[in-house]
Amino acid sequence: MTEIPVTSDARRRRALGHILLLAAGLLVLVAISAASVVLVNKARQDNAWVVHTVEVENQINALMLELRRAESSARAYLLTRWPEFLTDHEQAVANVVPYSDKLAQLTDDNPLQVENVKKMRAAIDIRLDQFRREMDFIRRDEPASAAALVREAAAGNTNAIIRDVTDKMRAEEERLFDLRTANADRSQILASSVTIAGSCIVIALGAIAAFQVRRSLRVRDEAEIKLRDLNITLETSVQERTADLREANDEIQRFAYIVSHDLRSPLVNIMGFTSELEELRGDIFKRIAALSHAGSEAAPLPENATDSAKPALEGADKRLSDDFSEALTFIKSSIAKMDRLISAILNLTREGRREFKPERINTRELIGGIAATVAHQAAEANAQIRVEPLPDIVSDRLALEQIFSNLIDNALKYLRDGAPGDIAIRGRNKLGFAIFEISDNGRGIDPKDHQRIFELFRRAGTQDKPGQGIGLAHVRTLVRRLGGTMSVASELHKGSTFTITIPVNWASNRKADV
Amino acid sequence: MSNTVTIIMIEDDEGHARLIERNIRRSGVNNEIRPFTNGTEAVGYLFGPDGSGIDRKGQALLILLDLNLPDMTGIDILKRVKENKYLKSSPVVVLTTTDDSQEIKRCYEYGCNVYITKPVNYESFANAIRQLGLFFSVIQVPSAAA
Repeated sequence: MTEIPVTSDARRRRALGHILLLAAGLLVLVAISAASVVLVNKARQDNAWVVHTVEVENQINALMLELRRAESSARAYLLTRWPEFLTDHEQAVANVVPYSDKLAQLTDDNPLQVENVKKMRAAIDIRLDQFRREMDFIRRDEPASAAALVREAAAGNTNAIIRDVTDKMRAEEERLFDLRTANADRSQILASSVTIAGSCIVIALGAIAAFQVRRSLRVRDEAEIKLRDLNITLETSVQERTADLREANDEIQRFAYIVSHDLRSPLVNIMGFTSELEELRGDIFKRIAALSHAGSEAAPLPENATDSAKPALEGADKRLSDDFSEALTFIKSSIAKMDRLISAILNLTREGRREFKPERINTRELIGGIAATVAHQAAEANAQIRVEPLPDIVSDRLALEQIFSNLIDNALKYLRDGAPGDIAIRGRNKLGFAIFEISDNGRGIDPKDHQRIFELFRRAGTQDKPGQGIGLAHVRTLVRRLGGTMSVASELHKGSTFTITIPVNWASNRKADV
Repeated sequence: MSNTVTIIMIEDDEGHARLIERNIRRSGVNNEIRPFTNGTEAVGYLFGPDGSGIDRKGQALLILLDLNLPDMTGIDILKRVKENKYLKSSPVVVLTTTDDSQEIKRCYEYGCNVYITKPVNYESFANAIRQLGLFFSVIQVPSAAA
């Protein structure tokens, strides 16, 4: 019994542990997801920056390539005057400005590179101007001037400036590339380590949860086994108790039987010797009378006359004889009463031992039979007995006969003087029980005696009728053995109604009964 | 009843024994009455020390038996008497306070010849015993021959 609060407490704690565990698992998962999203985003950005750097370098290279192409094609055109070279040159020149624009656009986040691009633009503008003039000279057919210009340009520092700037830019981009690659790597490593750590935590939590679930399963299994054991034990102990009760009941029955039996034996002696005393008394007083006669009369009666004719006692002797008779009469009537009581107890215990034989009973016929046997008494008491339709039941015939004949007898016995008796027996079915009512218009029972009348050797009201106070006790015992209940509703001078509720089918209730 | 018949009275209550004896005498039966107040003594007399009953061979006995004895039940004695080859022909009258129908039936099944319930009412009691005495005076009892 004391274990219950402890286990419920433990259960609550365990449930709380489960919830905390689940919450922790969820939190870790959310954190890992958030961190992963953030870190993956960062890694993507870092990668984007790396790509950006590579793009810038590409752009620089492309720009440089176009410049070189323009230069070489210009020279080739100058030498050969092939128009293909001119087209080539014009294409290259046309590409230079958009390429440098794109480069400027790509690098506008870096002030250093913006500065570099500006310088390069200036150098490129000069170089483009030189190309234009070279082309003009060639178109005007002044190859010498064009060659001179080429020489001048080759000698000039514009190319060097462009090379320097691009080198610087490349160096800057290299630096950025290294930096950004390192950044990207770090982000990747961070993301993966966060994921790994989170997974480890989740696995650990899962393991703990699994362990706890297993433990609670085990606890539940143990509790189940315990419960089953308890159930079995309970059943056994109920059976044991029932057997004990039955044994105790049998013991009481045997006890009552033996006691009432053994009480009878001395009673036979008392009665027997009292009767012997009575005879002795007759002899003694006969002799006293004879002696007093012999003393008072001169001529004594002949011997044989003393024996046959009773000589009258006189005065004190007569009183003595009467007292003697009275005492003996009281003793004998008490013994007779005691014998009746003992017989009643014997009958009751015998009833308690009798096996019931359930059978289908036409109740109306049975009660009609009882009414017929008391018809003479009823006519004498100026009473009528009405038997209304009654439900048939399966029960013990003898027990029912005793129940109803006791109650009808009582009703006839305790009618009101000077009023015609009316005794009615009604019945109905209700939920597997048959309810019988035996009502009369007799003298009734004071409500304070309603319990008393069912007790053994107890009676109520005016004691003007013979009886031992056994009938109702007997009836109630029988009704109880039939698995029913019995009650009385009554008011003084208004009549009584005894209500008996017994199972319609006694056999089906037998198991609950024993 | 022939004078050689001995009445064995097994009755634990001496008062009852006395009343029974008186009323038997009143009915004019003068046979020897051997009273026993407990089962052991009665069994000792009936069956002898070896329990065979050879001592009683050739005697005519009539047994008056009470069922409620302090040391054993009368039914056991009844059974032994009816199973003994020397005693089984002796009439057994069960005279007891028990009027339980099961008990009566059992006694007759075990071979009791008469079952009488002792009434508390003395007149009935005396009457019953006297009639029993009359019955004794006319009954033919075989000697317990082999």
